[in-house]
Amino acid sequence: MDFSLTPDQELLRDTSRKLLERECPPALVRAHIDDPSAHEPLWRHLAEYTALGTGPAADLCLFLEETGYAAAPGPFLATTGYAALTGDDTATGTVALVDDSTHPFVLEADRVERIAVVSPGPRLAVLDVTDVPLRFVATVDFSRRLFALDLPHLTAQPLAADVYARWRERAYACMAAEMVGTARRIFDMTLSYAKERKQFDVPIGSFQAIQHKLADMSLALERATAAAHYAAMTIDGDDPERARACHVAKAAAGEAARRILKDGIQIHGGIGYTWEHDLHLYLRRATADEYLFGTTGWHLDRLADLLID
Amino acid sequence: MQLAWSPEDEEFRTDLIAFLDEHTPEQMLVGFDFQDVDDERELVPQWLRDWQATLFDHGWMIPGYPSERGGRNCTPVQTLIYLETLASRRLIRSGHFPGYAIVAPSLLEYGNEEQQKLVPAAIRGDTIWCIGMSEPNAGSDLAGLQTRAEVRDDHFVVNGQKVWTSYAMIAQKCFCYVRTDPTLPKHKGISLLIIDVDTPGIDIRPLRHISGTAGFAEVFFTDVIVPRENLVGGLNGGWAITQGSLAHERAGLWVEGVARFEQTIEGLVTLARQQGRAGDPIIRRKIASAYELAASLRALGYKGFASFAQGSSAPEHSYMKMAMSEASKAAFELGMEISGSLAPVTDPVFAASTNRFVHGFFMSFANTIAGGSSEIQRNIIAQRVLGLPRR
Repeated sequence: MDFSLTPDQELLRDTSRKLLERECPPALVRAHIDDPSAHEPLWRHLAEYTALGTGPAADLCLFLEETGYAAAPGPFLATTGYAALTGDDTATGTVALVDDSTHPFVLEADRVERIAVVSPGPRLAVLDVTDVPLRFVATVDFSRRLFALDLPHLTAQPLAADVYARWRERAYACMAAEMVGTARRIFDMTLSYAKERKQFDVPIGSFQAIQHKLADMSLALERATAAAHYAAMTIDGDDPERARACHVAKAAAGEAARRILKDGIQIHGGIGYTWEHDLHLYLRRATADEYLFGTTGWHLDRLADLLID
Repeated sequence: MQLAWSPEDEEFRTDLIAFLDEHTPEQMLVGFDFQDVDDERELVPQWLRDWQATLFDHGWMIPGYPSERGGRNCTPVQTLIYLETLASRRLIRSGHFPGYAIVAPSLLEYGNEEQQKLVPAAIRGDTIWCIGMSEPNAGSDLAGLQTRAEVRDDHFVVNGQKVWTSYAMIAQKCFCYVRTDPTLPKHKGISLLIIDVDTPGIDIRPLRHISGTAGFAEVFFTDVIVPRENLVGGLNGGWAITQGSLAHERAGLWVEGVARFEQTIEGLVTLARQQGRAGDPIIRRKIASAYELAASLRALGYKGFASFAQGSSAPEHSYMKMAMSEASKAAFELGMEISGSLAPVTDPVFAASTNRFVHGFFMSFANTIAGGSSEIQRNIIAQRVLGLPRR
């Protein structure tokens, strides 16, 4: 058992952190509100890392913490999920889950080449995106794009139930890693603000009411981060705890993100809910992410099924 | 990042399990529980003292230490395996933690050669120690302690009062923080003395917990003579040692805390089935939520342990005490909710399977207060981990 990063993982984390800091500043996320093509310069870099989709979950999750931190637009998460499901890491792709109330819409469908469709059975079909009529679905989050599909009649192949279950678990861990990254961005912005902003002639971060909020936010963030790493480790080690660990990771990430976005904006005060301030770019992503691949409550209920039944 | 253990670590675990299978006292196997101890003289029964000595003599008391200190020079990861194995079997090492968990590491760091000779007996449990920290007017504000030690030629004269002193009524020695210079700023005038509890002028009065057990005491000092050589660290150098003491206390405690919390959650599942509440969606979600908290805290503990084992500071440990103590209180409350009208009933005829939850709830009040209250823990996280300014 070893929770520390290998030298390769440290390199991957540092490289991805620097890459996203440089190529995905708040200005890019803001530009993406009105101009979906604003993500293209960033995508030229991220596209080089999509092979992580078929590699160890621990490596992918480290990278996704950074895309979450930057609220990176584009089909990176979608393509790594497509690659993990189909084994095809030569094309860009996304995954549609038919009749799944936890995931009714499809990520980034207008920016990829292929769509993997999982229908009840489970069965799997891979379509060319040009064969599928798409409808853009607006959400509060400007950094992700969701679509509703008008699927044609499918010629689908059987998909082994355990393979699909494992893919879903991996998706929960990946989503948790992204959310933990976004929550950390909001937390870092809030912590800096609490140290700089003065009222009553002192930094507001010297007030115990603010300190205790930040301590609780920090605890939620650190345990969600650890839970996401642990979930990735159970996937890579094919551990019997993996199903539980992945539900725990997504639920813990959902709780951390919600607490941090609410208290983060509270600590920022009035400036935090202005359009000009960058906080809302990340707050929007964190809000919407909870509803992708199952809400916190849905994951807790699945966990209860595993623990009690 | 990987879950697998190395062959050396698996061998360590095999050796430990063989030892435990052979030597674990039967009193422990039948579910010994400190919550059942009502008489302070029985706080540390003889069989439990013998068990601690057996662990020491076989190098299983603190396995990371060398053999003369009750260990076998194991690695930090092996210490984690050791703590988890004990916790999963619901075994405790000792009936009195201050000696091996606080006094021994503090003396090894700050004591002189003569004082370090006290370490093996502290770890083996041959000497029972209590820690003189809190006072009636120095709780969370520990640095405000007022127990006075006047410096004479070759001795100190101690006058004052300590309170909430665990194990004082059975201890031989007290690790006692005193004020040696009232003219200095409060953090800078504190010293640490080793005081023999049978020294004339010491009066010990047990205090009962609200749970009914008598685990701690008030200790009064009246003109108590303490030899000069019993000063640990420098004169007025006590504050730094208080900080170290509590860090030692916290570093390994989370393993047992998380394991107990997980065992409480298993108990909640069993209770929900017994009480016909296992299908109640609200109860189900609350149990899952408690499990999520426990599992994420265990992961956080592991993560902190990894940086600790590599020699870095581990801020993760600062979170564990606060989170565990608050979470276990909530888990006992959930047990009471599931128990319904039986929750406050202690009569075993009616409440044999439910009364441990209300008992646990009452015991849990101490855990969010003792060893630094949850509010003090939040201050520590905010100021030392997050770097927020003090007022």
